[in-house]
Amino acid sequence: KQGCPVLNWHGIQNWHGTSLSSPEDKCQQVLEPPYDEMVAAHLRCTYAVANHDFVEAYKCQTVVVQYPSLGGTFQAHKEENWALPVMFAVTLDLRIFANNAEQQLLKKGKGKVGDMLEKAAEQLMSCFRVCASDNRAGIDDSKKWGMLFLVNQLFKIYFKINKLHLCKPLIRAIDSSNLKDDYSMAQRVTYKYYVGRKAMFDSDFKLAEDYLSFSFQHSHRSCQRNKRLILIYLLPVKMLLGHMPTNQLLRKYDLLQFADVTKAVSEGNLLLLNEALTKHETFFIRCGIFLILEKLKIITYRNLFKKVYHLLKTHQLPLDAFLVALKMMQVEEVDIDEVQCILANLIYMGHIKGYISHQHQKLVVSKQNPFPPLSSVS
Amino acid sequence: MATNTASQAPTSTWSYVGGSATEAPVHENPEWEKARQALASISKSQSSTKTSPANRTSSQAGQYPTAVTDTSAMQQQQYYQWYQQNQQQYASYAYPYNYYYPMPPYAAGYPPSQYGVPGAYQPPTTPTGQPPAMAMMDEQSSYTSEPQPPPPAVPQPPPQSPTSSDQPPPPPPPPIPPLPNAQYPPPPSQTPYNPNGALPYSPTETSPMRGYNHGQPRLAYQGYQPPSYQQQAVGQGLYGAAGRGDANKKPNNTNMNKGQQLWNRMKQAPGTGAVKFNIPKRPYVLANQNFTTGEQTTSAATTIATPVSSVTTATTAGASQTGPQDWPQAMKEYVQRCFTACETEEDKDRTEKVLKEILQSRLQDGSAFTIDWTREPLPEVKPRQSRWEVVPQRSQENTIGRGGASRGRAGARLGNYRNVFSQRSPSSSSSRSSSRSPSPHNRHRDRSRHRRSDSGSQSDSSMSSDLRPLSRRQQRAGRGRGEDRDRGRGAAGERGRGRGGKANRGRRNMDDLGSGVGKKRKGGNAGMDFHDPNREAKKQSRAARFHTNKRTEPLVLNINAVELPNGTQEGLSWEDCPIVGTCQDITKNYLRLTCAPDPATVRPVPVLRKSLTAVKAHWKSNQDYQYACEQMKSVRQDLTVQGVRTDFTVEVYETHARIALEKGDHEEFNQCQTQLKALYKDCPSSNIGEFTAYRLLYYIFTKNSGDLTTELVYLTPELREDECVSHALALRAAWALGNFHRFFQLYKCAPRMAAYLIDKFVERERKLALRAILKTFRPSVPVEYVQSSLAFPCLDTCVAFLTGLGVTFAPSDPSKIDCKASSACLTSS
Repeated sequence: KQGCPVLNWHGIQNWHGTSLSSPEDKCQQVLEPPYDEMVAAHLRCTYAVANHDFVEAYKCQTVVVQYPSLGGTFQAHKEENWALPVMFAVTLDLRIFANNAEQQLLKKGKGKVGDMLEKAAEQLMSCFRVCASDNRAGIDDSKKWGMLFLVNQLFKIYFKINKLHLCKPLIRAIDSSNLKDDYSMAQRVTYKYYVGRKAMFDSDFKLAEDYLSFSFQHSHRSCQRNKRLILIYLLPVKMLLGHMPTNQLLRKYDLLQFADVTKAVSEGNLLLLNEALTKHETFFIRCGIFLILEKLKIITYRNLFKKVYHLLKTHQLPLDAFLVALKMMQVEEVDIDEVQCILANLIYMGHIKGYISHQHQKLVVSKQNPFPPLSSVS
Repeated sequence: MATNTASQAPTSTWSYVGGSATEAPVHENPEWEKARQALASISKSQSSTKTSPANRTSSQAGQYPTAVTDTSAMQQQQYYQWYQQNQQQYASYAYPYNYYYPMPPYAAGYPPSQYGVPGAYQPPTTPTGQPPAMAMMDEQSSYTSEPQPPPPAVPQPPPQSPTSSDQPPPPPPPPIPPLPNAQYPPPPSQTPYNPNGALPYSPTETSPMRGYNHGQPRLAYQGYQPPSYQQQAVGQGLYGAAGRGDANKKPNNTNMNKGQQLWNRMKQAPGTGAVKFNIPKRPYVLANQNFTTGEQTTSAATTIATPVSSVTTATTAGASQTGPQDWPQAMKEYVQRCFTACETEEDKDRTEKVLKEILQSRLQDGSAFTIDWTREPLPEVKPRQSRWEVVPQRSQENTIGRGGASRGRAGARLGNYRNVFSQRSPSSSSSRSSSRSPSPHNRHRDRSRHRRSDSGSQSDSSMSSDLRPLSRRQQRAGRGRGEDRDRGRGAAGERGRGRGGKANRGRRNMDDLGSGVGKKRKGGNAGMDFHDPNREAKKQSRAARFHTNKRTEPLVLNINAVELPNGTQEGLSWEDCPIVGTCQDITKNYLRLTCAPDPATVRPVPVLRKSLTAVKAHWKSNQDYQYACEQMKSVRQDLTVQGVRTDFTVEVYETHARIALEKGDHEEFNQCQTQLKALYKDCPSSNIGEFTAYRLLYYIFTKNSGDLTTELVYLTPELREDECVSHALALRAAWALGNFHRFFQLYKCAPRMAAYLIDKFVERERKLALRAILKTFRPSVPVEYVQSSLAFPCLDTCVAFLTGLGVTFAPSDPSKIDCKASSACLTSS
């Protein structure tokens, strides 16, 4: 009984070649009620996909996903979770079709960005609820094993439609789960990747570094593309924390856009940084890291001012010196007040140990370690 | 099991029937004749029944056509021929004969001699049955009449009835019968039969016929269940025989005269009492069959009446006739199940009472046709249950004892079943409305088969089948093949036949052997076992493993019911149903629409233009935001309703957004912004930069870096050049870096209405900046510096702000802030 539907499910693959536009009859003959509709919808879906009609495919897939999500069949499988792989496949397809359907609709000038995906997310959420509420089954048979996969799918949608705040409850659910370290590594890598990204956007760089490093280190050796994706977010975070990537790494993962940025930041070369950011702005913005990289300016200020400090070799630095430095970097319309402001920020954030004497217009820095290492800051 | 078999059963039965039909005519003829002779005396009574044939024909014909639909029609046609031939030969007996045919397997399998002995059991019934069948018919009819709907119902009780049913159809309209056989095998038998027999017969000869049938069965029975049987016989043959008949009897008696009337009623309102009768009858039949094995010899006449009745004899036939055709097959089966579940006559009586109530209510409210009878729990008759438990043991004993035989039988049984069903089916076909859906039929068949076999073969076979997976499988396989007509019906049919034939033979032998009283008992026990409700459930669950309940209704994917997000769904957007307003009022109060808009209250665009200018003027002079907002909203609504998306629409939204922004009405401002974003795609306005800047600033306000990033993605270089946008971008950069100096510089020179937006978060930024300042400067910082840095319009407001935060001023110089002392106040706040 258990294996049957799954076997059938996979057996159905054989039918894929046959372009069935209305497979209901066949399915009805072969399968018992909940599954016949499911499979029929699936077949219709494949048919639609073959025709590149993703809207139709999405609709069909919605019907398919109703089974796990509406609880009826899937939830009725008390203490069984054999259907999880099916659910995975089905929900993954749903997300993809929703994405494609949306693209198609947008091309036709219909629909709004994110609407489709939001709908799909709702369905995934109901699946998630089914899984998360399976408290009675034993660990081995628990549907909770499906949680992380669904969470990851939902993450993908939420990140795509910029609804990061919706991730919070999901993260909480996983964090409180006693299975969180027992899911498959693939799922955990994905999960940590998204949670890391979210932490980065929330400016929790330490956490972001932890998570992203984990997923970078644990993603499979062969998954170069995934590793590159992880690096795109891991690099800015690392740089903000003072770890600069080597050129070798950047070259290996084809991320040389970061090369100039890295160089500019470590040299305190504000000019170069601005140029680099402008040059690769599109890339950075598309990756959603432009705003993060922008924060590297603060690090760059720090490094620049550190140079000034080393040049002057005194603990009482006239503010004018910094103004000169900034002007050298072609920062527009800088005045002494802005210098104070920038310094104030650096001091406030802990990048500089010291204070400003407004009266004397001087920066007084600590005699010990006035520019503490970045890794110890924030 | 039931479910599995059910689905497959139809085809298998078909095949079977076909085989039986073809073979039967030849073999059976002799038997028939015997039966006739034997029943000759009895048959006289049948004369009355003869009238019925005509009725039958008509009714059957009607039924048949419906049945015809099956793919098996081909096979049926073959049968057809057979039937016709048979009919010709037996013109007078036509029906019985045909009916018998279902039986043929026996005949074919068993030489006449065999029949004589064991066959007494079935074969005799068939041959002799025909003539008697008539009598039986009468009797049955009478019985049926009693029950009201009974005529059709009665036939059902005897599982054999199906066969009988087959026969009846042939006689009148040969062509018709074949069809019924093919498709309907299971149910039809009952129905056709019932109507014909029941109507004509029921009124006339209830008592005599019964006496007849019963008398024969009784003998067998007596050994078995003397008391109940006798009662039945006395009261009303069929029912009495069944023993469970009490309930039936009552209705019958009461209704005797009114039988037909009731019947009619029943037809009109299928749900009513008649149904009850039918159902009970079925169970009876089963029971009867068991008895009949012994009885059959005597009841040849009965067999005739219901071709199937070979076993059941007259009683069964009667039942079949009486059965209301209108009952759902599933319900009939349900009743059958209930009775099969009964171990003792008491149980049966009790069950009958309970069933009566249930069915009556069901039928009256019509739910009988809608509920899933297969899932209906059996009525609980408490005393029984203890028995259940006991019963199983018996069954096991039986099985063990006969193990070897049973196996063989299991296969055979199937055959029998099929035959029975096939035969029945025609008769059941008469039960039109009841249950045409294939699945229910199938299930019924399966169950009926089991029971029947149990009863007939004394349940060994049935037991064996249940207990032994192997046997079961075989059955299943056979059925399955039969079922899949597409795959190769012919082959399946043949196989089925072959098996069936063997099975029948085996069975017969068994039956013959078991004809003794003791055997009957065993059979009874076995039957009981079968009846065990739990067992049924188990069977089903087991069957479910292999077979699944297939959908009975055509599967329809309601894909189009899937809700697509707004805007993507056709017909949901206003543009698809344009309205042109006719209202000429310049001002209009805003009312949220709760129904389709009425053009009379909607203003056309020219009027709206006037409205807009009026609202603007009113706003400038009065600054009455409430009024302005309401007017703007009504304008927006009118535009939306008419699907107007033009520059004017953009203007309206921009205006409203500005007014809302000025008054700090977040909600309206955001609504307008959302609309504007969509509108700008179609109608770019010169203000696009302004509102894009507002959006950026709003994201800063909400600290939504994600949306901010996406917004950046879509900023075209041209847009970046825009005064407002570039300002917003610069402000954003300053904000991101905490460069409060620059931030507030930009704040001071905010273009257009950007300052209104920045106002929303300027306080927040001031606090942050102040915190940094207090931490940075030592020992103190002049208030003036703070005021200029944080863009306070004047010193006083700055001081007010600072004091509001609890900042400490330097004791020596109040124009300076004591940073160290003050830093605590801000961190806490």
